Amino acid sequence: MKIGILSFAHMHAYSYATALRRLPGVELAVVADEEEERGLAAAQQFGTVYVQDYQDALAQDLDAVIICSENSRHAEMVVAAAEAGKHVLCEKPIATRMGDGQRMIDACQKAGVKLQTAFPMRFNTPIQHVKHQLEAGAVGRILAMNGTNRGQNPGGWFIDQQRSGGGAVMDHTVHVIDLMRWYAQSEVREVYAEVDTRFYDMPIDDCGLLTLEFENGVIAAHDPSWSRPKSYPTWGDVTLEVVGTQGVTRVDAFAQHLVHYSQQAGKPLYLGWGNDPDMQMVEGFISCVREDNQPLASGEDGLRATEVALAAYESARTGRPVRLR
Amino acid sequence: MKVVVIGAGTMGSTHSQAYAHMPGVELVGIVDIRLEVAEALAQSLGTWAYTRLEDVLAAEDPQVVDVCVPTHLHKAYVLQAAALGKQVVCEKPLARTLADAREMIDACTAAGVGLYVGQVVRFFPEYQQAQRMVREGQLGRVGTTRLTRGGGYPNGWNDWYSQVGSSGSLVVDLMIHDFDFVRWCFGDVQRVYGKSLLGRETNRLDHAFASLRCKNGVIAHVSGTWAYPEGFGTSLEIAGMEGMVQYSSTDGPSVHTLVRAQKAGEKGVAIPASPLVKSPYYLELEHFIDCIRTGASPVVTAADAYAALEISLAVLASIQTGQPIDVEMWRKQQAEGLVEGRKTDGLIFSAKAQQVGGEQR
Repeated sequence: MKIGILSFAHMHAYSYATALRRLPGVELAVVADEEEERGLAAAQQFGTVYVQDYQDALAQDLDAVIICSENSRHAEMVVAAAEAGKHVLCEKPIATRMGDGQRMIDACQKAGVKLQTAFPMRFNTPIQHVKHQLEAGAVGRILAMNGTNRGQNPGGWFIDQQRSGGGAVMDHTVHVIDLMRWYAQSEVREVYAEVDTRFYDMPIDDCGLLTLEFENGVIAAHDPSWSRPKSYPTWGDVTLEVVGTQGVTRVDAFAQHLVHYSQQAGKPLYLGWGNDPDMQMVEGFISCVREDNQPLASGEDGLRATEVALAAYESARTGRPVRLR
Repeated sequence: MKVVVIGAGTMGSTHSQAYAHMPGVELVGIVDIRLEVAEALAQSLGTWAYTRLEDVLAAEDPQVVDVCVPTHLHKAYVLQAAALGKQVVCEKPLARTLADAREMIDACTAAGVGLYVGQVVRFFPEYQQAQRMVREGQLGRVGTTRLTRGGGYPNGWNDWYSQVGSSGSLVVDLMIHDFDFVRWCFGDVQRVYGKSLLGRETNRLDHAFASLRCKNGVIAHVSGTWAYPEGFGTSLEIAGMEGMVQYSSTDGPSVHTLVRAQKAGEKGVAIPASPLVKSPYYLELEHFIDCIRTGASPVVTAADAYAALEISLAVLASIQTGQPIDVEMWRKQQAEGLVEGRKTDGLIFSAKAQQVGGEQR
């Protein structure tokens, strides 16, 4: 199976490319990147061909593409890929505007190609373990959920409103909201949020706090802040507590780590030893293309999570809760 | 100094034990309408049990009255003690409503007695140290803080915790600790928003989220729970431009003991402990007694306790109305009687609250 990667703007592209190389029967056939230096280096690193224009990649005989461009450029590339008949795995957040996201979903549906949103946390083994526990009724009916996805300021285009569509709240809301939707089996009804810039001197948000209610009455809170200091032992976290009528469960997606007290680094480092969720996600995408299954996290899932991030900005702007449905 | 404790429940026992071991303090009586409960505690501490405050006041003429009854009953005892010129220690929350709290503060001021409120988090060394780091600027400008607290559902006399009219739910009873901590660290709160299970069909389960925005810009997440199967824990995180500080009471306690089951079929038990020479409760009461002796101002004043109650009730009002609440505006509206019910402190409840607790308010 031949796969292309369109843009290495998002650093996750390197992880996905690594995953592709490790999968049997899968070939990373082409790397397209507007930025020649970055694209050439990536093509060389992963032993493949480089093209500058993504349309040239789409003209090739590819089965599917992974799109890792800046958030605001997802729509254009996904629609083009769909029209070229390629299955698509698109980096999150899938779009920066609801209309764009819908256009992507419609184009893929019309072309009969898969659209998977890159939500690797759905493929994280401890997160999946909790999903199975919840399905088995281990904590009864879900009442409340409390999530975090904190990190550090990634810089670059992530802090350019035009290209990212938003800062920390855009970047770090969607993963955990997707997990909450998946666990609660319900859509977010209402969003209240505080959003601000308090950790870095820059014109885009770096912290926030979301308070939510789902259609089925589950209440939730989520922290998407870029609040981890440079001295933090790892890039950040993904945690989720689920409170039910019969008990409570708490998952820390990256707790499977060694603590390395490094003389050289001058700070402790977490060295993960759990299963690689990026690897499992790419594998899942390949398998759903091969076996014509539905992706575990669809374009619709991507759009519903994005809707919550956008509502958080609107709530912060207006000072009122935003009712989605 | 002679002290009498009113209420022989969880907090009354904690306070009584502290006084019983405090040099220069004589625990002269424990008052509880449940004589057998008061007697059991009094006997274990070598003091006397009473069912009426006036009896112990007449018999012992204590200087200090410590009120540890359910929240909605604080006022009657505090007013009674103040009227007789007794120094008053009162468990948190100061009162169930702001009107009651104001009346209690005014009565103590008029009587010239101190009113010392048990906002005990100010005496937990881990919270003190975190607050000191903020005050000294060690974390730089603070962006966000996260505070969690809770565990299993509390058992109280007549199940008063489950009656929002008596306890104010976990938002007022439990989360008030963290609201006070937020104020202590970051100053006044500008607006609040909350969600909880109050009014939803859950039996003796509650969980709440509060989103606070301080006037200085800090975004605070406060989460409280009475939905765990058992146990109790707290955590704090404060993140700033120059660093972050974290603490969790449940991560690696300083002592962790496992005891084998004594009989077949029984379960063994785990006993985590974080021992200190003096418990935070002891330190708190020792400080209050010291303030009474010297006339010094306490580290947490009745005005602080009132402000923490105000935040708690604003969060509760947000939960019940579904709207964010600007604390200052809400205060003005109440003063002008614009918000329904001076009786209920601006809480638009009845209908919703009745479903949960069926309380008399």
